[in-house]
Amino acid sequence: MIPAVGYPDEIRALIAQLKRLPGVGPRSAERIALWLLRSRQTPSTDLATALNQAQAEIELCPVCGFFASRTAGCTLCGNSDRDVTQLCVVEQATDVLPLERTGAFRGHYHALHGRLSPLDNIGPEDLRIDTLMQRLREGFITEVILATGSDVEGEATANYLAGALGASFPGLTVTRLAQGLPAGGGLDSADDLTLLRALSGRRRLAAH
Amino acid sequence: MPITSLRLRDFRCFESLSCPLAPGETLFTGDNAQGKTSILEAVCVLLRLQSPRTLAGRELVRFGAPGFGIAGSVNGRELTHTHTLAGTERRLLIDGEASTRPGDYLAASGLVVWMGNNDLELVSGSGEPRRRFLDFLGSQLFPEYRPALRAYEKALKQRNFLLKRDASPAWAEIDAYTAVLVPYGETLLRLRAALLEKLAPHATAAHTAIRMADGGAPASEALSLTFHPGGDSSQLSAQLLARRADEARRRVTLHGPHRDDFLIALDAMPAASFASEGQQRTIALALKLAQATLLREARGQAPVLLLDDIFGELDPGRRNALLAALPADSQKLITTTHLHWLEAHERPAARYHVVKGSVTPE
Ligand SMILES: [Zn+2]
Repeated sequence: MIPAVGYPDEIRALIAQLKRLPGVGPRSAERIALWLLRSRQTPSTDLATALNQAQAEIELCPVCGFFASRTAGCTLCGNSDRDVTQLCVVEQATDVLPLERTGAFRGHYHALHGRLSPLDNIGPEDLRIDTLMQRLREGFITEVILATGSDVEGEATANYLAGALGASFPGLTVTRLAQGLPAGGGLDSADDLTLLRALSGRRRLAAH
Repeated sequence: MPITSLRLRDFRCFESLSCPLAPGETLFTGDNAQGKTSILEAVCVLLRLQSPRTLAGRELVRFGAPGFGIAGSVNGRELTHTHTLAGTERRLLIDGEASTRPGDYLAASGLVVWMGNNDLELVSGSGEPRRRFLDFLGSQLFPEYRPALRAYEKALKQRNFLLKRDASPAWAEIDAYTAVLVPYGETLLRLRAALLEKLAPHATAAHTAIRMADGGAPASEALSLTFHPGGDSSQLSAQLLARRADEARRRVTLHGPHRDDFLIALDAMPAASFASEGQQRTIALALKLAQATLLREARGQAPVLLLDDIFGELDPGRRNALLAALPADSQKLITTTHLHWLEAHERPAARYHVVKGSVTPE
């Protein structure tokens, strides 16, 4: 009997790589792989170049935690027009984008790269809280806006930070994005108008 | 009328199912473990997005299938509920259009009361089944109930975990969760107290009605329900603060709605220890009938009654008393393994026989 023929190993390897991408199932991986190969030249080599460049160039800014380029630096921290007295604390680097789209906030950002969740083994020491404290000790910041999510873990993270900041910086104003964010959701699930309202209606948090 | 047709795909043991439902009674007969209860469960999940049998959506998916689908005509609209195991779990459609807010979907849907064989636990069991009973009712009456319950349970789990984790409790972290837990906890305490206040007179009345239809004397055995809250609905924060040393020692959250309960008494004697099994069954039926009355009062429409194999277990007197007490204008979906009681009963409009996940009209 003649064994059934499948794709050559190189194509199988490509499909296997594509399948690892988020949201790509085996069928789409196969489709994408064939499309890249059939249209030879440009799309596949452009993709490979872009991927290589992004990999080599992009890092997370050691100050704010947003995406930065190794050569051009951080577009947020490097912008001298931004208000140095206001700092907005978010869970993830990607949470900066919806807030920027509202156009209502001109201060600086600080991404924690996570939120408190004891059951997932994530404690304060796993978040970028030390770097946050360090930025505050420089003394320019007068208001911190806690823009963590409105679900249980996001709220708990905001509460924890309000307590820690209140204890270390008595003169600092600590506010929380106003209610109106969809309950149980992160920032990226809120539409721009909701976020705009939440920004303008932020409330002061008492240190506990 | 609430639900006129039901369609299933990969739900529990059903690969696919499509059956019209009668406005009055629809009866499903068959032996145990053939899928009768799953049909009632599917109706409950379609209408209320929750199962009375499990909290885990994945248990509802047929073994080996990627997800389940339930659809049906409800109050003249087509409701569809699909659940995929991988990725974006739940999708809700009203008349073919995606409904992103569960609240809108639930408002368009109907209300349900589930009556099952283990209802006896409401009287004889621990506080857990009584809290679930209040949750099932509260989720249908107050839009804020279920979100508050979900968030409360999540915050409680995190808080209890922190209390257990360290030799000396990390209060800064624990209190970050206390501050989340308290408002949700107070909301639940308040809503449950309101529920019990509304429910108690209906339960007493339903209990008297069943007893009298069963030949009991009207003056004896008054049923009473008394709420025992697990915390103060306006002082929960202070209560927890006052128990700090105890919490550090016992390593568990000592106040809050997770400790709520209500006392069921007959003539002021606790029914769990003093009532006979027969009396306890009557009380359990009364609690469910009271739920139906309350839901009708709130929505102006009789709830769908899902009656899971309860008639065979009752003695003839109690069975007939219950049949007489069931709200006449409610749609009823009934499963039964025993057929003996049916002979004395009016033939239902629709009757199906269920065998190994397939359904045939009788
Ligand atoms: Zn930066």
